[in-house]
Amino acid sequence: MEVKLDKQYPLDVDAARAWTLLTDLKATANCMPGAEITEQLSETSFKGGVKVKVGPAVAQFGGTVDVVEAVPAERKMVLRGKGADKGGSSASMDLTAIITADPTNPAHCVLNGQAAVIVNGKFAQFGGRLMVQVSDMLLAQFVENFRQTALTLPAAEGSPAPAAGHSEAAAAATSTAAPAAPLVAREINGLAIFWALVKSWFGGLLGKKA
Amino acid sequence: MNAPVLSAEARELALAGMGASRLRKEDARFIQGKGNYVDDIKMPGMLHMDIVRSPIAHGRIVKINKEAALAIPGVHAVLTADDLKPLKLHWMPTLAGDVAAVLADEKVHFQMQEVAIVIADDRYIAADAVEAVEVEYEELPVVMDPYAALLPGAPVIRDDLAGKTEGAHGKRDHHNHIFTWDAGDKTAADAAFDKAEVTVSQHMYYPRVHPCPLETCGCVASYDPVKGDLTTFITSQAPHIVRTVVSMLSGIPESKVRIVSPDIGGGFGNKVPIYPGYVCAIVSSIVLGRPVKWVEDRIENISSTGFARDYHMDGELAATADGKITGLRVNVVADHGAFDACADPTKFPAGMFHIVSGSYDIPAAHASVKGVYTNKAPGGVAYRCSFRVTEAVYLIERMVDVLAQKLGMDKAEIRAKNFVKKEQFPYKSAFGFEFDSGDYQTALDKVLEAVDYKGLREEQKAKRADPNSPTLMGIGLVTFTEVVGAGPSKICDILGVGMFDSCEIRIHPTGSAIARMGTITQGQGHQTTYAQIIATELGIPSEVIQVEEGDTSTAPYGLGTYGSRSTPVAGAAIALAARKIHAKARKIAAHMLEVNENDLDWEVDRFKVKGDDSKFKTMADVAWQAYHQPPDGLEPGLEAVHYYDPPNFTFPFGIYLCVVDIDRATGETKVRRFYALDDCGTRINPMIIEGQIHGGLTEGFAVAMGQQMPFDAQGNLLGNTLMDYFLPTFVETPHWETDHTVTPSPHHPLGAKGVAESPHVGSIPTFTSAVVDAFSHLGVTHLDMPHNAFRTWKALREHGAAL
Repeated sequence: MEVKLDKQYPLDVDAARAWTLLTDLKATANCMPGAEITEQLSETSFKGGVKVKVGPAVAQFGGTVDVVEAVPAERKMVLRGKGADKGGSSASMDLTAIITADPTNPAHCVLNGQAAVIVNGKFAQFGGRLMVQVSDMLLAQFVENFRQTALTLPAAEGSPAPAAGHSEAAAAATSTAAPAAPLVAREINGLAIFWALVKSWFGGLLGKKA
Repeated sequence: MNAPVLSAEARELALAGMGASRLRKEDARFIQGKGNYVDDIKMPGMLHMDIVRSPIAHGRIVKINKEAALAIPGVHAVLTADDLKPLKLHWMPTLAGDVAAVLADEKVHFQMQEVAIVIADDRYIAADAVEAVEVEYEELPVVMDPYAALLPGAPVIRDDLAGKTEGAHGKRDHHNHIFTWDAGDKTAADAAFDKAEVTVSQHMYYPRVHPCPLETCGCVASYDPVKGDLTTFITSQAPHIVRTVVSMLSGIPESKVRIVSPDIGGGFGNKVPIYPGYVCAIVSSIVLGRPVKWVEDRIENISSTGFARDYHMDGELAATADGKITGLRVNVVADHGAFDACADPTKFPAGMFHIVSGSYDIPAAHASVKGVYTNKAPGGVAYRCSFRVTEAVYLIERMVDVLAQKLGMDKAEIRAKNFVKKEQFPYKSAFGFEFDSGDYQTALDKVLEAVDYKGLREEQKAKRADPNSPTLMGIGLVTFTEVVGAGPSKICDILGVGMFDSCEIRIHPTGSAIARMGTITQGQGHQTTYAQIIATELGIPSEVIQVEEGDTSTAPYGLGTYGSRSTPVAGAAIALAARKIHAKARKIAAHMLEVNENDLDWEVDRFKVKGDDSKFKTMADVAWQAYHQPPDGLEPGLEAVHYYDPPNFTFPFGIYLCVVDIDRATGETKVRRFYALDDCGTRINPMIIEGQIHGGLTEGFAVAMGQQMPFDAQGNLLGNTLMDYFLPTFVETPHWETDHTVTPSPHHPLGAKGVAESPHVGSIPTFTSAVVDAFSHLGVTHLDMPHNAFRTWKALREHGAAL
């Protein structure tokens, strides 16, 4: 089962901070509901997992993520992930993420993501028809978490890619305005996904009629 | 004589013999939940097996780590291909002359392929341990389309066949090519097309479907390390062949192998092959010295055991301008999956597909079937049909419709014009079959009259004239001929064993009897109908005749039950075994009545002295005498065995008509009427025949309207649960009307032809014929199955007929 995604998410975060977060793979992974980087194998290679819980069924994909390409000048990151679940499913993903600045508003940017996800085994057999919708849901949650996390990063004026946490002044400046630590969903909540699917389905129906 | 003398008619009725709608003997135990299926069998010390399966369709096995699984308390063993290698059991022969991996050896070829097995104290521990076995794969490119599989650069599916240019059925011209099988006369067929006034051609795909019996496959293997013998309870439609194969594979003498098919919850061809799970359970029992049970779940059943069909077919007809068919050409690309495990008689890699000339007198015909490997599960079983007959009947019936449409002729008229006529039987078809008997025209007339065909066509015309009609009306008509009862051992064998069948009958001293058969019932009601044959032949009430099958230690050797062969082959064996007993009984009766054998008449249940009704001996009297004091020169006892090697196949036929109304807004197809006339020759139990026809029509409805095994490009099967795979219940099933004519087979001792598969074979093209007919005024000549609402709705939109 192959799903191709091509998404643009406008964020109220400046491009520099967004890029900083994106290059911190561990922190970025933490924005993905249920995902976690557990080990760094090399400069560009990580070990991690994703846990999905739908009702009583839990799928736990374990695998690796490799940074295939990181181009700071273009704020472009290419990742390849591969994993398998013990219950007889496997998945792989090629992801290209690019952060583009919003020309009209320097405090905003757009997160562009292109991904090809291939799922095999039981997950594809049972969940195949929901893959696109579930992916949309996951990405929406991810982007929200990403946005919140990025907002907690110190703003860097002018500099396209400052190392995170280096500018104390900047950190102090944002700390007053920083929201409380974001409530990052640690697991993919099946009920929430289901509810969102129902909403989007009805939305689709009404949309068609309109 | 003191007892009241009953008339011959009354006595005949009391026997409940052939022709009686005797209630099924099996049902008493089934409706009380007292059946004895494989999964009901529990043995002391029994362990449970579960299977680690591949999540991907094609890949190399890099590493298998058993440690975590073996560490789970209650796990006894984890076995992989490497463990079976020293026993040379990691590969096994298939029924089609190929080999199949028992456990994946270095690579996996299809999704859900068996990779490792786990033996544990119970099913739950085994299932947990399956998840703990870590398998690392290196993925390989997947080939799901048989046409793509034959391209020059296509990925190699079977590394083990590298360099093999000769297969079990001739030359292989590509690494994914299995065989090309030709039938008929190509030169003559080509000549017919060269001269033809009219030709038509049509491509059609008969989707991959699964028989999906209610009971999945499984076994309990029990090896006794002290005695050195092996008993296996197994879901098999052919237990005797299983015994032979198990003996050949394991090296255990056949006399020490006992295979038992207990009650079987439906087979439909799915329980003919020998599956890796059986072999693994048997090996595990031998290795561990304890009984081992394996029962697959539904997903495993649909995903990995014998599928059916998956034929990509191109048909062509040549005809005169007035609709007389002069030639037929067929080309098939057959998707056999990763191993050629097609269940056909050895010499016929496309089964009896050459019945494809149908009920029609076609002078020149040629068919070519090309078998191809893909990354799908192996199989190609006869799903309620006799070896690819369903595909053949589908093709010819569709083609005749296409021709009728081109010529603007009526479907019934073109069929009548091309029928093999009653006086042409026995008829030799262009493919070499000798049709035994038939009277197609009488049957067709009967159906057309019963449904008021003319009236239906007028109604359809009126509906078509009305642009606001909410439905499209379609009329499907099929006039099919089947070939069943494989078969003459000269041409039909399974792994070298001729396709005869057998029966042993023993009459007990007090006049009751037991019969043992080489077949095995899976719902056909053998225990009921076989007894009726004996009742009529020997004059013993069927109620006191016990029928036993399925235990190789007690039953005579037989090839089993599939391809509608029980009545045509085993039924004949029963009749002839009974006639041997009858001949001996006559001698005993003559002795008892002190007359010459020739002076005796047989009447229902007794031998009478000619001209004197008061002097007679019943079969019960004779039985007692046989054990009490047989005449000089005769052996005591009254029993016989007969092995019947049929001289020919039998050719049952039917005329099916279906009326559908298709909702132009939703695409839903409502079957308004389905009229099925079957001619299976002599009818043994009309009630069971009707039940079999209802079952076959329902399974035909399932295939035509919903069943399919869809795959994505990566080889994931997207429909392997009963949530997705269509198994109709009485909610969806339409009302069936049945009818019959009787044209006995001249070469069968009873004149019977076999019936259970005809309704499946015949109904599927009838549904397609009806659905396409609803669209025919829009120029549509064919729509592929399944005719589910979504696909039909798409067709409505495509052809501008949607509301």
